[in-house]
Amino acid sequence: MLHLTEEQIAVRDTFARFTDAEIIPAAEAIDEAHEYPKAMVKRLADLGFVGMRYPEEAGGSGVDLVTCCLALEEVARGSMSVAACVTMQALMGTKFLEMLGNDDIRERLFKPALALDKIGAICMTEPDAGSDLASISTRAVETDGGYILNGAKTWVTSAPVADFFTVFARAGDEDKLTIFLVEKDFGGLVIGRPIEKMGVWALPTSEVAFNDCFVPASHRLSAEIGDGEEHLRKLLSEIRIATAVLGVGIARAALDEAVRYAGERKQFGKPINRFQAVQMRLADMATDLEAARHISYHAAQLLDAGAPHRKEASMAKLFATEAAARVCDNAARIFASYGYAMEYPVQRFLRDVRFTLIGGGTSDILKLVIAKELSV
Amino acid sequence: MKIMVAVKRVIDYNVKIRVKNDETGVETANVKMSMNPFDEIAIEEGVRLAEAGTAEELVAVSMGGDGTQETIRTALAMGADRGIHVASDEALEPLAVAKLLKALADKESPDLIILGKQAIDDDSNQTGQMLAALLGWSQGTFASKLEFDGGHVSVTREIDGGLETLRLAMPAVITTDLRLNTPRYASLPNIMKAKKKTIDQMSPEDLGVDVTPRLTTLKVVEPAKREAGVMVETVEELLDKLKNEAKVI
Repeated sequence: MLHLTEEQIAVRDTFARFTDAEIIPAAEAIDEAHEYPKAMVKRLADLGFVGMRYPEEAGGSGVDLVTCCLALEEVARGSMSVAACVTMQALMGTKFLEMLGNDDIRERLFKPALALDKIGAICMTEPDAGSDLASISTRAVETDGGYILNGAKTWVTSAPVADFFTVFARAGDEDKLTIFLVEKDFGGLVIGRPIEKMGVWALPTSEVAFNDCFVPASHRLSAEIGDGEEHLRKLLSEIRIATAVLGVGIARAALDEAVRYAGERKQFGKPINRFQAVQMRLADMATDLEAARHISYHAAQLLDAGAPHRKEASMAKLFATEAAARVCDNAARIFASYGYAMEYPVQRFLRDVRFTLIGGGTSDILKLVIAKELSV
Repeated sequence: MKIMVAVKRVIDYNVKIRVKNDETGVETANVKMSMNPFDEIAIEEGVRLAEAGTAEELVAVSMGGDGTQETIRTALAMGADRGIHVASDEALEPLAVAKLLKALADKESPDLIILGKQAIDDDSNQTGQMLAALLGWSQGTFASKLEFDGGHVSVTREIDGGLETLRLAMPAVITTDLRLNTPRYASLPNIMKAKKKTIDQMSPEDLGVDVTPRLTTLKVVEPAKREAGVMVETVEELLDKLKNEAKVI
C-alpha cells in the first residue's frame, strides 16, 4: 500500500475538497463553453498547482512527483479539461523556461506563468511527425543576432490563449533538435484555428506555423545546439506518469458514478446493483482502478527515488490509461441509455478518457518502449 | 492582539459513520479524519484578523492522540503561526477540554479565544461556554460577525428570533457559527511552510489538569431504520391515519 506523508495527505485533501466544492459543480459548463477555463485554472494556480514541481527559489513548492500525482488525480476526477490545462501549464508549458531560461525570461514570463498571468504552450508534434520525432522538420537557421524559424506544428494545446511557446526545431550543422522560445507577438508566428476534438473540449488546441519568424539569440533555450532530444527524454517519463494518473482520476469518477447509479436505478422491482451481472461489472471496474493506481504511483515513487523508471513509467501509462478507458466504457454500460445521453456526465468521461490514451505516447508506441527495455 | 484558536480532530463530514459491533462507540480505525468544520471557520477568522493587522499572533491548539498533530498542521497551513498539542489518549469530555484550554490561556494570555460552536462528532456545544465560565471572561457564542474597537468586540449572534449584537469587553471567548466566513483552501506553498512551524507538545499533567472521564457511555447504537412510507389515496384517509394511527391531530 502506498504510504503517504502528512504533507502528501494535506495536499491531496486540499485538492480533493477543491474538486468536490468547486470543479465538479462547474465541470459540465466549463466543457460546454469550449474555452480555456482561465478562472478555474487560475484558482488552482493560486493554490500552488503550477509551481508544485519547481524549487522554492523559483517560486514553487518543490514537492515530489507522488504529491503532484495525488493533486492531479483529484482534479482529473472533477474535469479532464481543467486537469489537462493545469498539467500542460505546470509540467510542460513552463518547464524549459524554468530549467533553461535566462533571468529576463524567468522574471517576465516564467514567474507570472506560475500564477497563470501568462500561459505557456509547447510545440513538438508536426503534421508528419507524431511519435516519430526523427521526422520533425521545423528548422531554425542562424542569422544576425538570432535565428529564423520556419515550419508547422500541430496539436499545440493551449495555443489559442498562449503568451509564449516552447518550440522544438532542428538547428546547427547536424540538424539536431534544439529548444527555442517564441513569444506571441513575434512576427511570423501564426496561430491556426482550434482543432475540433471529441473530448476535453475546454483545452483549446491548434496548429501553429512559423513563417520566417525571428527568434533572438536570448530565446534559444538549449544551452547546446542539439540538446533538445535529451531534455525531452528526461521529461517524458514524468509526463507519462502524470498522464497515467489523469486516467486514474477519471476512472475514479466513472466508478463513483456507476456505483451510485447502480444503487438508484431500479429494474425488475429492485436496484440493478442487486443483479450479479452488474456486480461483476463493478468489481472488474474497481479492480482495474486499483491496479491502475498501484502501477502509476509505483512508477512515481521510482522516479522520486532516482531509480530507473523508464520501463515502469511506460507500463504505468499503458496500463492505467487502457484500464481507465475500460472503466469509463463499463460505467457507460451500467448507465445503458443514460450513458449515451448528454445529460449525464458518463458520456463526458467516455470521450475525455481517450485524451489519456494518446498524449505522452500511444499504447502501441509504449509497448515498443517496454519491449526495447526488455532488450527485445 | 493575540488570538488562540481551538481545533478538534473529528471524523470527516463526508464519511458514513459506522457503529462498532460491541456498541461502545463509532468506528474510527482507518476512517478519514479532518478538522471540525466549525473550527475551520474559527481558524479562518483568526487568519483574517492577522492579515488585517488586527491580530499579531495566532496560536492553534488541540488535544488528543497521535493524529491530532495533523489537524494542528492543517491550521498552520491555513495561516496560524504556531501550534500547541496537548497529548492524551483519554476520551476528553467538554469539561476536561475547557480546563485544558483554561490552563493554556493562563500560560499564553491571549486577548481572544475562538472555538467552533460545537464539534460535529458529539455535538456537545459546551466547551466554549464552560471555558468562558472557568476564565471568568465574556462570551459571544454562535457568532456570525465580529467587529473590534479598542478593547471591545461586537459579536453578531444568530439566535431564534434573528440577529443579536453583543458588545464584549476583552479578553473574550467567541464560538463560531456557519455564516461567519468561508474557510480558505490551504495552498501548496503554505502546506510546505507549515512543516517548518513549531508545534509544542505537552501533557494534561504538565498543565495540572485531571482529565479523568466523569461520564460513562452506556452504549452507542445505530439510529432505528426508517420504515418505508405509505401512499394514501385520499385526504380523508390521510386525516384518519394522522388522527388514529399517528395520533398527532
